[in-house]
Amino acid sequence: MTPRRVAVTGLGMASPLGATAAASFDALLAGRSGLRLYTPPEAQRPVAIPAGVCADFDAAAALGKARAGTLDRFTQLGLAAGLEAWRDAGLPEAAQEARDDWGVAWGTGAGGAHTYERALRELYVAGKERLAPLSVPQGMHNACAAHLSISLGLGGSSATYSVACASGSMAIGEAFRRVREGRAPVMIAGGSESPLAYGFIRAWLALQVLAPGDEGTAPSACRPFQRVRAGLVLAEGAAAMVLEDRERAERRGARIYAEVTGYGESSDHGNLVRPSAEGQARALRAALADAKLAPEALDYVNAHATGTREGDAVEVAALAAVLGERARSVAVSSTKSALGHPLGAAGAIEAAITVLALHHGALPATLGRPEDLDDDCAGVAHVIGEPRRDAGSRAALSNSFAFGGTNTVLVFARAD
Amino acid sequence: MMDTAAAYEFVKERLGVDARATDGATELASLGVDSLSLLELMFEIEEKFGVKVDEDTPPPKTCGELVALIERLAAGAA
Repeated sequence: MTPRRVAVTGLGMASPLGATAAASFDALLAGRSGLRLYTPPEAQRPVAIPAGVCADFDAAAALGKARAGTLDRFTQLGLAAGLEAWRDAGLPEAAQEARDDWGVAWGTGAGGAHTYERALRELYVAGKERLAPLSVPQGMHNACAAHLSISLGLGGSSATYSVACASGSMAIGEAFRRVREGRAPVMIAGGSESPLAYGFIRAWLALQVLAPGDEGTAPSACRPFQRVRAGLVLAEGAAAMVLEDRERAERRGARIYAEVTGYGESSDHGNLVRPSAEGQARALRAALADAKLAPEALDYVNAHATGTREGDAVEVAALAAVLGERARSVAVSSTKSALGHPLGAAGAIEAAITVLALHHGALPATLGRPEDLDDDCAGVAHVIGEPRRDAGSRAALSNSFAFGGTNTVLVFARAD
Repeated sequence: MMDTAAAYEFVKERLGVDARATDGATELASLGVDSLSLLELMFEIEEKFGVKVDEDTPPPKTCGELVALIERLAAGAA
């Protein structure tokens, strides 16, 4: 079968910068930071960390109180983003056609962390014997995918990928393959994460990779590629995109934001948490080959760069190794500087941002100052401080590199 | 004797429906409350009001019936 072209026809997002994709992207281009000092309300002992909280997101308004009350926050965020993407694509929620081969591919790293932590508090702290009946179906990792399938009447594949920070990216990549191979005419794909639960925060603090900050410095706590970078900033959020057979999308007159043209993956097979330039380079090469894209035709990379000392430099080294001379002129930015790191949702949010960047001809910047760029992150054309208006950008990558050594790279092309 | 306002407040807080007004007739199913989420609601009522919902209790169909059930259970517990 001839490979199908895969169009992005709908986008949805809930992020620390806004409750919709448009609001989030506008705030990103305006150079706003969505990060602030956060204390989980259920904290047993005082703790405050810089974090990305979806403060504008109103679950009851987006989903109705009755439905929102039965969902973990990662599902609230993801379902709302998914429904926004669906509406944005101009597809009705109620099935007006057979959707037996339509599906959902979703990513989450932590799943129902809030549900499980609440249950454990009841058992171990409050000493109760009985838990809420929905504890299992609310907490399970595939809850969000299931609710999307149920809400949209999707009768085909319903899969959840839990690959730490590459979860959302892998979900989009696998959905892309399914549409390209003609196995599904429409897929909704993305990821959601809400890791800001007390126990989860304590676990991340123990790993000693979180950026420090106080009330005043929290908004600028995540500084990818810069000398002052001191770690990542945890965040919550979700993004969804509707992937559709391009011919089908054109037949129904749908707006096409961009095309997914390639997907590459690799495993470092080295260390659980230390990144590997060689491993990342393999995923980058696989993605470019899949998209049949020469390095000279690449314009923008939305980097994984989380703001850790080692990770950012390794990613630049991988880009330089794969792109060669072209690396010096490829625009690179890390939007985690404004959104933080929503773990399993990061790949989905950043893929959606990459699509919007191509669609609007506007490349969002890494927050910070050019003079603060670190020498060990030199070698690419950093977009830092100010977004770059570049209507000529035609092809872009979205990188996701996960704990566990899984690397995923998505390739997008402008719609025309 | 329980404060009957608490039952209305629970339904409003949990389902977004003011059962004191005409919304009392709002069917739970129309709010997306299925058998599983009704089980969750009954659990929350037991926890919040310190009551026990018998297994043979007929499931409420509307917001008004849900309020009446809470009031009846709470009156029995008092």
